[in-house]
Amino acid sequence: MKIRFNQVMPIPLASIQHSSESIWGNEVSFNTGQKILLNASSGKGKSTFTSSAVGLRNDYTGTISYDELDIKSFNEDDWTKIRREKIAVVFQDLQLFPTLSVKENLLIKSLLQPKYSEVELKNFLEFLGIADKWEQKCGLLSMGQQQRVAIIRALIQPFQWLIMDEPFSHLDVENTKKCLELIHQRCDEQKAGFILTTLGETHGTHFDSELKL
Amino acid sequence: MLRKLLFQNQDRKQLIIAITGAFLGITFLITSIHYLIKVNEFGEGAEILGPNTVIVQKRVSTSTTFNLTKTDFSSREIEKIKAESFVADVKPVISNNFDVSFETADPQVPRFRSDVFVQTLDPKFLDVKSDKWHWKPGEKIVPIILPRDFLVMLNTFMSAQGIPQVSDELAMQLKFKFTLSNDKSKEWVDAQIIGFTNEVPSILVPESFMEYGNKEYSLGKEQKITQIMISGRENEFGKVEQLMKERGLESKNSQIIVGRLKSMVGTLFLVVLGISIIAVFVSGLVLIQYMQLLMSKNAYEVKTLLRIGYHPKDLTKQFFFYFVKVFGVVAFIGTVVFLLLKFYLDDMFETGGIYIDTGLSYQSFTALLITFASFTFASFRTAKNGIFSNY
Repeated sequence: MKIRFNQVMPIPLASIQHSSESIWGNEVSFNTGQKILLNASSGKGKSTFTSSAVGLRNDYTGTISYDELDIKSFNEDDWTKIRREKIAVVFQDLQLFPTLSVKENLLIKSLLQPKYSEVELKNFLEFLGIADKWEQKCGLLSMGQQQRVAIIRALIQPFQWLIMDEPFSHLDVENTKKCLELIHQRCDEQKAGFILTTLGETHGTHFDSELKL
Repeated sequence: MLRKLLFQNQDRKQLIIAITGAFLGITFLITSIHYLIKVNEFGEGAEILGPNTVIVQKRVSTSTTFNLTKTDFSSREIEKIKAESFVADVKPVISNNFDVSFETADPQVPRFRSDVFVQTLDPKFLDVKSDKWHWKPGEKIVPIILPRDFLVMLNTFMSAQGIPQVSDELAMQLKFKFTLSNDKSKEWVDAQIIGFTNEVPSILVPESFMEYGNKEYSLGKEQKITQIMISGRENEFGKVEQLMKERGLESKNSQIIVGRLKSMVGTLFLVVLGISIIAVFVSGLVLIQYMQLLMSKNAYEVKTLLRIGYHPKDLTKQFFFYFVKVFGVVAFIGTVVFLLLKFYLDDMFETGGIYIDTGLSYQSFTALLITFASFTFASFRTAKNGIFSNY
């Protein structure tokens, strides 16, 4: 699935001066399977990019399209299908359920498109070093642990694109490396691409292209 | 899991208050509608006059005996009564202005003859289901409704003659005849009893027969209206009684008592019905408000579920079905309590000598269905609006 930003300018960011390389106000296409690093300093609209790209906000001019279809024309059925099968997201504020356990947070997502058993879900946690948190409420985990749960939740659904908004901000180098390994693995399995927004770090991994805001 | 997530942060106290209100409202709603219907039906079919109808005449006093005051009604007086807001209709009771006698004409019973007084009532006021209630000149048999007191008198006579008394059914099979006469001519017409009444003291005949007799055998005197029928509006029978008191009118006591009783009990149940409707409405609103509050308290959960791929319809269903189930259970318990209450109330009425129909009234269940359907619709709209506002 090709994602295209055509002259997109978020209304709250319209008064800010953007560089000529910025996605905002230019035409940019994200082709299937590409791994993209989106680099920007604070306040340049990384979260706005994520929210706009997945249809959570519409306060922009220009057009965002998936396979040349304007996403503003999508209804709730279209979005439900896209969020279940085509685009997985790791939000900056994680969007976990603090009163549910790690297990329940993963199962509530997994129930929509059952692909992994509970054992396999536990294996993901094991790989990222938080298997012992399986029954623990998410609200009691550290931010770094929560980030890893949010990453796993995004990875257990089928997707063509994985959009991550500063997903490693609370992780050390070692855990970031493990997360990226898992992310690459799941993307390669599905021939999917990802867009990773960061504050300038490359996290020492391979990218097809690097864009700016 | 979805239920656990969406129904956290509940304020159970508010839910319990709303459920209690809905339960009381529904129970009294069904009960009041049921008894309102049953009390209004009470006495129907047993008597020939329609509901809330009385036959009245002016009270006879010493002055009327000496012709100082009149016992007949002028058309102006009738119009005045008719103009009262609580009076549905007023019609004169037409009496015979010819000589008429009534006698047995059946070989099974001895001859019994008596000069009688016949009357006719406007068909609008009569509650006679028989298709035999018609007559036209030339027809051999005229249908009649006999005062029950007359049958008692007939049986007393039979008993004195050493002849077995007759039942209602047997009396309706016996042959009778009228003799219509004036100074110049005489005519015999066969009569057949089609019913009995406790409400009217004279023999009732169809209007056409009365017109025929008054025309063909008129005694030439001016016909006076000494009795009128007053039909009061639903649940305003007390005002009719007040009017009778003010105008010096009187009626058969039984008619007044039944009318008064029905009016009083009807008003009582109307008040209960009004309170029940308010209770159901308010508790329904509280439940709906509770749903809105629950959705707003769990707005983060709703938004997040939508973001990770849940369809708004899936979440709408969760809230909608939960509240419909709650209301359904309340309605069911309310119905069960109504049935228990009905068992007790029917027994109480019977002990008090009021034999109302103990069958269930479909109107009360229709009201319950309407209430349930309204709540279902309101919860669906609220759940849908609440979820889609987070979309």
